[in-house]
Amino acid sequence: MARAITSSFDEKRIAGRRLCRRLVVGAVALGLLGLAGFAAFAWQPALPEIATPAPSSFALNVVARGAVLAAAGYCSSCHTVPGGQPFGGGYAMKSAFGTIYSTNISPDRETGIGAWSKDAFRRAMHEGVARDGSHLFPAFPYEHFTKISDDDVDAIYAFIMSQKPVHASAQPNALIPPLGIRALQAGWKLLFFRPGRFKPSADHDAQWNRGAYLAEALDHCSACHSPRNLLGAERGGAARYSGAYVDGWFAPPLTAANPSPSPWTSDELHAYLFQGIGQFHGTPAGPMSPAAHSLFVLPQADQNALVRYIASIGGGDARAGSAAAAKGLALQINATSAGRQTDPDARFYVAACASCHYNGTGVINPARPDLALNSAAHLSSPDNLIRVILFGIDTPEGAPGLVMPAFGKGFSDADVARLAAYLRRTRTDQPPWPNLQKTVADIRAQGKGVE
Amino acid sequence: MSTSFLVNGRPVRTDEEADTPLLWVLRDEIGLKGTKFGCGIGMCGACTVHVGGRPTRSCITPISAMEGAEVTTIEGLDPAGQHPVQQAWRELQVPQCGYCQSGQIMQAAVLLEDFPNPTDADIDAVMTGNLCRCMTYSRIRDAIKAAARLTVQATTHD
Amino acid sequence: MTRLLRHDAGIALSRRSFFVSTLAASVVFGFGRAVAGEGGSQPAAPAQLAPRLTGFEPTIWFRIDQGGLIWINIAKAEMGQHIGTALARILADELEADWDAVRLVSVDTDPKWGPMVTGASTSVWQTYPVFSRAGAAGRIALIEAGAALLGVSSSACVARKGRVEAGSRSIGYGEIVQRGDLARRFSADELTALAIKTPDKWTLIGRSVDALDIPGKTRGEAIYGIDAEVDGMVYARPKLPPTRYGSTVLSIDDTAARSVKGYLRSIALEDPSGTVPGWVMVIAKTYPAAIRATELVQVTWRSGETAAVSDQDLRDHAHALIADRSAGATLDTGGGDVEAAYAKATTRVEATYTTAGVLHFQLEPVNALAFQKDGVFEIHTGNQAQSFILAVLAKALQVPPEKIVMRTYLIGGGFGRRLNGDYCVPAALTAKALQGPVKMVLTREDDSLLDSIRSPTVQTLRLGFDAGRTPVAMDHAAVAGWPVLAMVPQGLLKGTNGVLYDPYSISGADHWYDVGVQRVRAINNDLAQKSFRPGWLRAVAPGWTNWALECFMDEAAHRIGQDPLAFRLARLTGRGINAGSAPNAVGGAHRQANVLRRVAERAGWGRALPTGSGLGLASSFGQERDMPTWCACAAEVAVDQATGVVTVRKLWVEIDAGAIINPDGARAQAEGAVLWGLSMALYEGTDFANGRVRDTNLDSYTPLRISDVPTLEIAFVESTEAPMGLGEPPTTVIAPAIGNAIFAATGLRLRHLPIRPVDVLDARAKASAAAATTP
Ligand code: FES
Ligand code: FES
Repeated sequence: MARAITSSFDEKRIAGRRLCRRLVVGAVALGLLGLAGFAAFAWQPALPEIATPAPSSFALNVVARGAVLAAAGYCSSCHTVPGGQPFGGGYAMKSAFGTIYSTNISPDRETGIGAWSKDAFRRAMHEGVARDGSHLFPAFPYEHFTKISDDDVDAIYAFIMSQKPVHASAQPNALIPPLGIRALQAGWKLLFFRPGRFKPSADHDAQWNRGAYLAEALDHCSACHSPRNLLGAERGGAARYSGAYVDGWFAPPLTAANPSPSPWTSDELHAYLFQGIGQFHGTPAGPMSPAAHSLFVLPQADQNALVRYIASIGGGDARAGSAAAAKGLALQINATSAGRQTDPDARFYVAACASCHYNGTGVINPARPDLALNSAAHLSSPDNLIRVILFGIDTPEGAPGLVMPAFGKGFSDADVARLAAYLRRTRTDQPPWPNLQKTVADIRAQGKGVE
Repeated sequence: MSTSFLVNGRPVRTDEEADTPLLWVLRDEIGLKGTKFGCGIGMCGACTVHVGGRPTRSCITPISAMEGAEVTTIEGLDPAGQHPVQQAWRELQVPQCGYCQSGQIMQAAVLLEDFPNPTDADIDAVMTGNLCRCMTYSRIRDAIKAAARLTVQATTHD
Repeated sequence: MTRLLRHDAGIALSRRSFFVSTLAASVVFGFGRAVAGEGGSQPAAPAQLAPRLTGFEPTIWFRIDQGGLIWINIAKAEMGQHIGTALARILADELEADWDAVRLVSVDTDPKWGPMVTGASTSVWQTYPVFSRAGAAGRIALIEAGAALLGVSSSACVARKGRVEAGSRSIGYGEIVQRGDLARRFSADELTALAIKTPDKWTLIGRSVDALDIPGKTRGEAIYGIDAEVDGMVYARPKLPPTRYGSTVLSIDDTAARSVKGYLRSIALEDPSGTVPGWVMVIAKTYPAAIRATELVQVTWRSGETAAVSDQDLRDHAHALIADRSAGATLDTGGGDVEAAYAKATTRVEATYTTAGVLHFQLEPVNALAFQKDGVFEIHTGNQAQSFILAVLAKALQVPPEKIVMRTYLIGGGFGRRLNGDYCVPAALTAKALQGPVKMVLTREDDSLLDSIRSPTVQTLRLGFDAGRTPVAMDHAAVAGWPVLAMVPQGLLKGTNGVLYDPYSISGADHWYDVGVQRVRAINNDLAQKSFRPGWLRAVAPGWTNWALECFMDEAAHRIGQDPLAFRLARLTGRGINAGSAPNAVGGAHRQANVLRRVAERAGWGRALPTGSGLGLASSFGQERDMPTWCACAAEVAVDQATGVVTVRKLWVEIDAGAIINPDGARAQAEGAVLWGLSMALYEGTDFANGRVRDTNLDSYTPLRISDVPTLEIAFVESTEAPMGLGEPPTTVIAPAIGNAIFAATGLRLRHLPIRPVDVLDARAKASAAAATTP
């Protein structure tokens, strides 16, 4: 059912290569409230403009802390167009509802947030309301940022206000009417938004709670990894972290339902998130790439905390023992799928893929991502695998400095479908993916999503 | 759009279209002709170069993927052309027409890093993507093993 | 190609024959001439340094400079056979040169080099008498001049390793060139009469040597046609018409292509030679831009008549042709009435064998750089048969042949593809149209569509035995598209019945077995001929004729209850026309029997094998009766009952190619030939669909790769007979040995190449159906 809801939402086929931004636009039936009452609720005052604070007015250590927090919160990856000025906004998020452009959050007075006070910034982060009182679209994940402590928000503010102002007017959003009416966002908030700072759990220690704070508040992991309901709000309960489509990719479950044959242990999470490549899980791609790369900046203690928390969601460490079996099976598959092949699909695979993806006696080399272990072939959706085959992985994505070529340049849809089906058949015990060739054609038509 | 990266240690910058294959930038723009064009679809290995130290088929690697990358071509594999794989290739007289051999050598060089003592299965798996139409396969196999021995010698002598 | 060179007077550059023309050139012996421009930009890897222009140049074939370096002119195309090294060894051996001083020069198409064709494994065979005498003459001249400088008589001197020695004194060739009086001249007769070394005197020939072209190929320095460049050149990619012939361009719409950065224009070629009708060339500043633009240019054509031709059509047509017992040209196989003898036979065996089309898939796609300079068209490219294409180029460009020069680059794989220089024509025409330099490169898909494929073939063989189980009549008919007809029709020969035929499309069928009255017929598949441009491909006809013949001999042996080895040996009597003759075929069928016996012994013929496994034998004389390279193969295979997969475990190969110039090089060539044979037996082949080959790239065309390589045991017969070619002949014995091994393993007779698992399963299903209906 989760599948039905998300696809009715048509997020699945949104082209895009960067982190985030499942475009969420709150559109809520007004009938829920009396119109007048709603108007009163929806109305927020404008906060006064201030003189842009001088960068020197912020303590350096606060700015530095803000820089780390801003990076870990992916501010610039959303508020910067590829190749553009940092924080200048204009990054397009497309969906069936239309296109929203991220705003300029540089300290430019006219087009950015140069006239915003610390309070205005806090209100935006914690309540999703702009300085002028208008409601922000939940494409801006304020339902997570509301959990960020005042101190941290202030540090981010200090950092952003110390950046170079970029003069760049906001691109007008192009949303299907009446979704563009910002006041309507208030209805969505009423239903789904629970403001309030992060509250540590008494059942867990400080490190776990620190990790939870980073993941839930700043890094908003669940924004991508949890399915959403019909109205675009994250679903809770068992659905939480159970995986979802985002920008044309499938963000895999972080729960124990993750189908990777080898568990996501703390060690694997560490390597994957902070070195860009894990021995048993390959490399972040698609929207996860900027996420992982942004996290490289976190101090060691925060990295440990984040891993501690994420690992606890799926309980991978408890299943660490099963890694050996998965590895053994993978190596066995390697052994039988190298060498002389007579099955045409196997020949095709060996010629196209094995030179990089084969692992020999006893060792899984992280620089040779093993397709029997990697989750791409195991997920319920073939999209990630198809995208990577078609469009490859650029140097800035994935493992630093490495590329995977774009096989879509030379392969037909049938070729790609054949490879995907072959991997599914030989690397997993999952049922075959239906309509592969059509899916390949659709994804190819969307393109990689390079702006 | 412009892309900057390193080729054999030297910085280069290109304004080619984003989807231009790295292969043609290397060959025609930078003038490094040692990397060859065979199939253009990633199935023959003639265009293999190293990106970040990994063998990569440049004919299907769009230049837009290359920002900040470090590329090594056959010309840059060893300053004197004395990489153990190159030595072994000469020793065993591997090349015939030679057209596939830049790619074979680049692939084999990383093969030996990953598998310092490659089995026949390792060689088959890693080298099968490199087509040799002159069918120098038996010698490639032998030369890889010879290069492995040379590498061991070189390291033990150091 | 030998026949083309020897029999054909029509080719522009075939000046009588190679040998005679060389002698004619050698009459100028003794004049130290300046070397004609060696084509600055050109290539042959080891000859990077432009030779100094002074020195001793006793013949057009080499020059010794004052530093003692010996520059040997190689008019053969270098495509991996290390031909330059092999030929230089011949010359250097007689010259008593210091091998380290030898440098190679790849020449242009000046007519003085004689016909330029590299193919059919004839290079060594053809050049040996010329180069050995050129070297011998040089040595004599150097000894005489050196003796004078040393102040002794020339009879007191010997030449060794680049020096003339008299007792303990000696003088180097370089110094002789600097100071000596090299006035010695040789008349043509004197040259012909020069004694050359007997094999026991060889110092270089017969020893393995490092090929001069190899080091550059390990460093990415070797320059191929695709690497050629000239200032100001633009790039072109063709937009290929729907049919090889007969398509006309109706309109070109390049609106969409104009958005491609670097796109320049599209040109419909006018080709008076008819080589590339209906071609549109898409021109751009870079090759990637040309690729992109070609995809966007919209061309409407009126297609040629073969636009719908399928593999089935080609096959049906061939079967119809072959059904007519009187069709085709008859080869001279001794005469006699085959039909009458066959009718009287008490046991008759008949079978039809077929092969699929095969792509060359040489790894370097065809390309050519063309421009006009000082009124002369220069074509820079890798080509195996410049002599064939120059006349065509002249016609296409509407200029006399002397206004065209081809500069030959290293070839990234020939296998016969570059015997057909058709790809030079569009490049030249585009340069003419643009009035500027242009480099045309075909993508792999373009290359496959344009390829002169090995024609699909159909062959029917019949053999009749008398009551004593002795063969009395044999008929072998082969239907194929004919390369000679397509490319050098002057080279067609006349059959004994007056019908013209392509000798390259039937050779191999004229075997060395005694089979009673024998008839061999070559039949042209005219539909194939119209649909594509049939090409020569490694080993050419024997690649299919010997497949059919050697499988059929096996069938026949089994039919009369004889062991296939014994059956063959009993037929290889070396009697009558199969006795063989000097200079090349000394020993005749006995030598074929010898390689067969040896390979059978090495493979343990007759030993028991596990169920599902089998051993098969085949032998051949290579390609041509008057230039035989005797080959035999034993193949051990295992056939998977359930999947039909054939695994070749091991191939034993025995080769008698006469004296071996360079043993390691010979082995390399043999390895390549054997594996090509294996590739065409089990892995590669393409059908024809909608007037074109169906498989155009490696996603569906599946040639042999490293993991497919079985254990190889290749051995050469030690011999001092005349050296024969090696690059192709071993190809001919692999497929039939495998076919026979499959029969031995399963009892199934596979009669189509390539043999794919599904064919094995089909054969099994048919066999069990037949068994079920047999009472
Ligand atoms: S040319 Fe790149 S793999 Fe063939
Ligand atoms: S040496 Fe010619 S393709 Fe490999």
